[in-house]
Amino acid sequence: MNIKLELFGASRDFSNESFINLNLKEKSTIRDLRTALNKFIDTNFEGNKSYKKMVNSSAFCSDKDEIVSDNYKISNNKKIGIIPPIGGG
Amino acid sequence: MLHARVVDIAKEKIELSKAEKFITSSKCGASIYFVGTVRDLNNDKKVIGMTYDSHDALVIKSFEEIYQSSIKKFNFDNSVVFIEHIKGKIKLGEISILIGVACKHRDQAYELSRFFIEEIKKKTPIWKKEHYEDGDSEWLEGNPIQKY
Repeated sequence: MNIKLELFGASRDFSNESFINLNLKEKSTIRDLRTALNKFIDTNFEGNKSYKKMVNSSAFCSDKDEIVSDNYKISNNKKIGIIPPIGGG
Repeated sequence: MLHARVVDIAKEKIELSKAEKFITSSKCGASIYFVGTVRDLNNDKKVIGMTYDSHDALVIKSFEEIYQSSIKKFNFDNSVVFIEHIKGKIKLGEISILIGVACKHRDQAYELSRFFIEEIKKKTPIWKKEHYEDGDSEWLEGNPIQKY
């Protein structure tokens, strides 16, 4: 299935667009998405360690603007946002 | 009473006068304004500006949750809170965040103001990219978001 991952903060360095499209297996969870993102970094950024650290410490939000857990099941064509470590103010 | 907004610097600036207008109340005897600005040095690098990125919907939700949490925690009568956070690129000295609070008494106002900025640092999805004098720029590392 296809998902659109909205990029924020440091993850914006993943693309010139504000999102990336990822293909995941049916019934994938946020945990699977994290694994797919690590593979994406291996493929596109030679396994950049700081990008991986950022992905592994990020939260994710649903299309209903709720922070979701690693067990959250992702639906086909749904939008998910990555929330890297924050630091506003 | 709460006013919460993300302000796009491409369209407008954060203005103290708006906060003053919102929080002024004859029921409150103390007002405090916390103003965050871009400073010129970080980790021995000369900073010339900052880009703020924001998940707008979650930011507003987070401000509302912090406000609700403050009511439960402090239970201050008639407190008023104005919060605006910038998004986009701003220069040295420009305002990134403004928190205006008004309460009946000064100790309440100090406590509430401090509570808001500390909670925002932990729970509000905003990111900073520093721009340096040598032309380089860098996203600041931050901390994993905490949720209510």
